[in-house]
Amino acid sequence: MSNLAKALKAIRKSIWVYHLNSGSCNACDIEVLDALTPYFDVERFGVKLVGSPRHADVILLTGPITRESLPKVVRAIRAMPRPRLILALGSCGVGGGIWWDSYSTTGGFKKLEDILRENGVEIDRVVYVPGCPVRPEAIIYGILLLLGAVEQKSKRVEVYASES
Amino acid sequence: MSKTFDDIVKQLVDMGGVVEELKASEVYVRVPRDRLRNFARFLYESGAYFKTCVGVDERQLNNMFAVYYIFGLDELGKDVVLRALAPEDDAWVDSITSEVPAADWCELEFRDLVGIEPRNRLVRRLVLPEDWPDGVYPLRKEFKYDMRPPVGAFREELAEETGIPVGPYHPALHEPEYFELYVEGEKIVDVAYRGFHVHRGIEKLAESPRFTYKQVPFLAERICGICGFVHSTCYLMALEKAAGIEVPERAEFIRSIVLEVERLHSHLLWLGVAAHLLGYDAGFMHAWRIRERVMVLAEYLTGSRKTYGINIIGGVRKDIDLDKIDKTMRTMASLKEEFSKLTEVMLSVPQVKSRASGTGILSKSEARALSVVGPVARASGLYRDIRKDYPYLAYKRVSFKVPLYTEGDNLARLLVRVDEVYESIEIIKQLIDALPGGSISVEEYEIPVGRKAVAAIEAPRGEDVHFIITGVGRPYRWRVRAPTYQNIPALRAMLRGTPLADAPLTIASIDPCFSCTDRVVVYDMRSGRRSSIRITRGG
Repeated sequence: MSNLAKALKAIRKSIWVYHLNSGSCNACDIEVLDALTPYFDVERFGVKLVGSPRHADVILLTGPITRESLPKVVRAIRAMPRPRLILALGSCGVGGGIWWDSYSTTGGFKKLEDILRENGVEIDRVVYVPGCPVRPEAIIYGILLLLGAVEQKSKRVEVYASES
Repeated sequence: MSKTFDDIVKQLVDMGGVVEELKASEVYVRVPRDRLRNFARFLYESGAYFKTCVGVDERQLNNMFAVYYIFGLDELGKDVVLRALAPEDDAWVDSITSEVPAADWCELEFRDLVGIEPRNRLVRRLVLPEDWPDGVYPLRKEFKYDMRPPVGAFREELAEETGIPVGPYHPALHEPEYFELYVEGEKIVDVAYRGFHVHRGIEKLAESPRFTYKQVPFLAERICGICGFVHSTCYLMALEKAAGIEVPERAEFIRSIVLEVERLHSHLLWLGVAAHLLGYDAGFMHAWRIRERVMVLAEYLTGSRKTYGINIIGGVRKDIDLDKIDKTMRTMASLKEEFSKLTEVMLSVPQVKSRASGTGILSKSEARALSVVGPVARASGLYRDIRKDYPYLAYKRVSFKVPLYTEGDNLARLLVRVDEVYESIEIIKQLIDALPGGSISVEEYEIPVGRKAVAAIEAPRGEDVHFIITGVGRPYRWRVRAPTYQNIPALRAMLRGTPLADAPLTIASIDPCFSCTDRVVVYDMRSGRRSSIRITRGG
């Protein structure tokens, strides 16, 4: 078993998350905070918000990745140690949301992944959590799915909007 | 104010302005572009405050670029809109920033996005990324909304940085933002704000073929996840005013109720964040625990925790039935009880009081010069509340107090918001009690082309202004000015000369909301300070 596979397997409990807002409208972001505060309280599972991507097991990516934030997003993800796990949150994080084709956005994680690959940054696992805004329950479920603690209920279907 | 609205209009005409359109609530005056400054000075001296300015590409209509400067006469409840025209080959207007400092950003904004040059002032790129090609103006009509100029190679900026590399992403922070504080020892000498990470091109999208009048409310709601309903309501108010659509009374009441629910969740969110910044995390957690009740109520009323999506042209989509009334009343009662417990404890914690009082002071005269809005204005002794000044929706039917403090410090801003929570609870109760019958939306409407309107709403953070020019099937031009846009420049006045340790709380005390503001903004300043460090704010 490679070191990477071992590391992936080892991440099971007390994961540390880093919240990366790439030009989101705040709705997903306050739901992330909601998940961390008493009502949902993910800290009881050891999930902790950390201040640097270098300390993070998972990046919570919100927003459509605006042109302005793109270089900073790439830098933050590059700074993360392998294995790189990403939770693409909300309609915007998943596919760019309502501004998927606007002049000042990149348009969701799929496009970002291509840019990351071009820049030599590999992503080891990603889970898409849709919703506008994403619900705190969905965030918690997404994290568990990412860690392999729950089985995926739905089948994966990829849909792309045409470029025309 | 001694002058009446008619006096002001008359004097504008005497100065050389031409009245283009006179409505009950606003007047449009065409002014020569080289004398804008004189008109602005006159209006400011007559007690008006600056709302915003808008650059419009009107070449399809009259072969000119137009700039609209919107002033509010809040004591009269009316607006004055100055309109100056500039031909395409010589696109410039006179800058008014020497008279009205608050116009700084919006002038740079139309310079970046429409390509109209404000003259007689310092200019710099504000809105668009640094690698954006010159001479490409997104809000000109020939620019396609989905055109993406190629992104340059990523610069490795790490080597250049000498500060602590935390911004623009920060743990407790839910938005990218970046302040540069220039310090001498522990004292702040100057402040620079660099935002613009959240510019998503909303105004351009709304006039693109992808959107219609009916769809824009959903786009407007996604300007901001915290006060989104304010934006969709404000857009609709402007549109309904322009098109002369009468909204049923019941729909007005429902909109007002949801607006107040939104204010409750926003203020509770802010209180939590403020407590967190004071190092009082128990207060943070409790504020968010209480806030969860409001989120559940919002979901019950509208079907969604946030981004409610119930606004449509001429009304709302979801009615309020007896079950919802009952649930709302019960939530309000328990919320009031829990909130009073929380604030009682929070305000008696000595550290909270001593950290918040006397820090981040904004004097009344500065507040007025910078045209600040919302709780920031009310904490500095400016009686400015759109719900009272320009009564809209159902607010003329309820009685409530506008909390006013004169200290202008962080504690005053905190107390304004605490008081407003109580007022909001009372407003919701009154609205529910007086909820009239009838339908919740109009069946038919028509939207004529070429109409203009300004609408304003008191958002949790202050005045939100929308300006609209109607077009065919979709807005010809739609401009959004969020409250934070107006309040951020006041941070300079608040922070200068204060100790560094107070900066995070002071920055948070205006309750900045960058997704609203950063549709477009960056704030840059003269460089050449002694040393620079970077800090970020939580929340």
